[in-house]
Amino acid sequence: MDASTTIRADLLTLTSEQAMMLSPYLWVFGGTVLAMILSVTRAIQPRLPVFIVSVLTALVGMVVSLGLFAADRVMLFNNMMVGDSYANFFNVVFLASAALTMLASFEYLDQERLQYGEYYLLVLFAALGMMLMASALDLIVIFIALELMSLSVYVLVGFRRADRRSNEAAMKYFILGAAASAILLYGTALLYGATQSTNIRDIQAFVQSQSGGVSIMFTLGAWLVIVGFLFKIASVPFHMWMPDVYEGAPTPITGFMTTGLKAAAFATFVRIFISTGYGDGLPAAIQSHMHDIIVVCAVLTMVIGNAVALTQTNLKRMLAYSSIAHTGYILVGMIAGQGSEQGYAPVVLYLVAYAVMNMGAFAVLAILAARADQGLNLRDFSGLSSRQPWLAFAMSVFLLSMAGIPPTAGFAAKYLLFYSAVQAHEIGLVVISVLCSAISVYYYLRVLVHMYMHEPEEGAAPLRPVSVWAAAVVASMVVLTVQIGTLPAGMLAAAKRAVMSL
Amino acid sequence: MRIEPWVVLTFCSIIFFIGLAGVLIRRNILIILMSVELMLNAVNLTFVTFSRQLGHLGGQMSVFFIITVAAAESAVGLGLVIAMFRTLRSVDTDQIQLLRE
Repeated sequence: MDASTTIRADLLTLTSEQAMMLSPYLWVFGGTVLAMILSVTRAIQPRLPVFIVSVLTALVGMVVSLGLFAADRVMLFNNMMVGDSYANFFNVVFLASAALTMLASFEYLDQERLQYGEYYLLVLFAALGMMLMASALDLIVIFIALELMSLSVYVLVGFRRADRRSNEAAMKYFILGAAASAILLYGTALLYGATQSTNIRDIQAFVQSQSGGVSIMFTLGAWLVIVGFLFKIASVPFHMWMPDVYEGAPTPITGFMTTGLKAAAFATFVRIFISTGYGDGLPAAIQSHMHDIIVVCAVLTMVIGNAVALTQTNLKRMLAYSSIAHTGYILVGMIAGQGSEQGYAPVVLYLVAYAVMNMGAFAVLAILAARADQGLNLRDFSGLSSRQPWLAFAMSVFLLSMAGIPPTAGFAAKYLLFYSAVQAHEIGLVVISVLCSAISVYYYLRVLVHMYMHEPEEGAAPLRPVSVWAAAVVASMVVLTVQIGTLPAGMLAAAKRAVMSL
Repeated sequence: MRIEPWVVLTFCSIIFFIGLAGVLIRRNILIILMSVELMLNAVNLTFVTFSRQLGHLGGQMSVFFIITVAAAESAVGLGLVIAMFRTLRSVDTDQIQLLRE
């Protein structure tokens, strides 16, 4: 009883390393609160101040996380959180994607007459949730961070509240997301019952200490947790929500979801995956069982994602199916992680490359979208090269990158990912992935054909001038796509360092 | 009379799957929201049972967090239902079919 009635002094104080490691989280939280106060202050016109404070919060937080990247691992809050290179690597990704989303949204929100301060606050809160998720070591903390992120994003998806499609998307996402969270939580409860802990390090230690196999309750709990995450990353057969949500959400938010949300779900999934399924010393029976089912998920995800994307004419919906397909490739990398010399580094690199090209593509879509998110069908892209040559060029770079054509980020990331799968002797899986990837070239190139080889539609609405913010986002993403594509070594080294710290 | 833990755990799992079935089968959004709450409460009960069985306080602590998050979740959920009702004039999921190919 002593342990439960006394409070250990070291839980109430922070050492300087811990305070340092927490600084990005505290900074983002403080900035969000400041932006919240500004957005309800009646004396000022809140449009610009809130925007600037929010973007600066995200950018400075990103620089701070970048500075902490090389720091040693620090355990926080009685091992409930950890500050390591992996967490800081992903913090940079999340905050960059939040900042870029806000920059790309500014003009879009003016056009949609939705220029409310809450939008930026919710993006920042979602980013904070993602940061906590990537650094959490306890399933309950992961759940809370996940909910902080998801609740903000549910509202953001329904932000065009006078539009039925946006409402519908938000409602669908909310119902399925809440059910998935509950499944994840039930899995956590069963794992707690089997191992007496919700900490993933303790769970890992428990699994390694069981030589004769684990109880059925543990297996069930682990599966429910994994199902919860398969839903969040939208792997087949838990993908049905994704195209609807991506289509109905405001375009910059769709971009945020493909970059930040996906990276956050995968970052946490990799952490949990290693501890509940692929840790060292796990009984071989569980490992192969798990391996088989994830392989089936990965193959189905790639095949269905690519096959359905072929028939789509709405660009947002097409990119949603392509996003499902990319989830499949990343799952291949996760399966291969244990058996290859690069480990999980290609997965992390792929997530970054994918985030970069999608951020750019959705920034272009946000610029081109007519009022109420209309005008994103394939035929609206006809002759874009003569109407907006630079945007057409940027879009081509992103689409070629998604198709995996050199010298873009998509090619380098895909090459390393498939190479690691070959090293792990997953030849059949690599063959399927490469075939799927070849199919995907068709629907990416179809957009290019429309942009460069078709005449503009008769009576097409004139395009608005491109705002400085959005142009900066697109330009920086083009540069990054080509940079990672031509010189991937630097980014791969960073990814490796991040994974090594796990 | 002492109630065996497995009885409570079975009870919890039955409640959980009733909730899950409700989310999948029912067509009224308000009932779906209730079903989600049912799932979360089944989880709470599971946590408390394990906490008692293992003599470990962590489970009961988790329940506090889950209750808080569930409250926030239903607040957002009801907000979305109202937003939807204003444009759609219905809380029936069969009416939700604009986003479908």
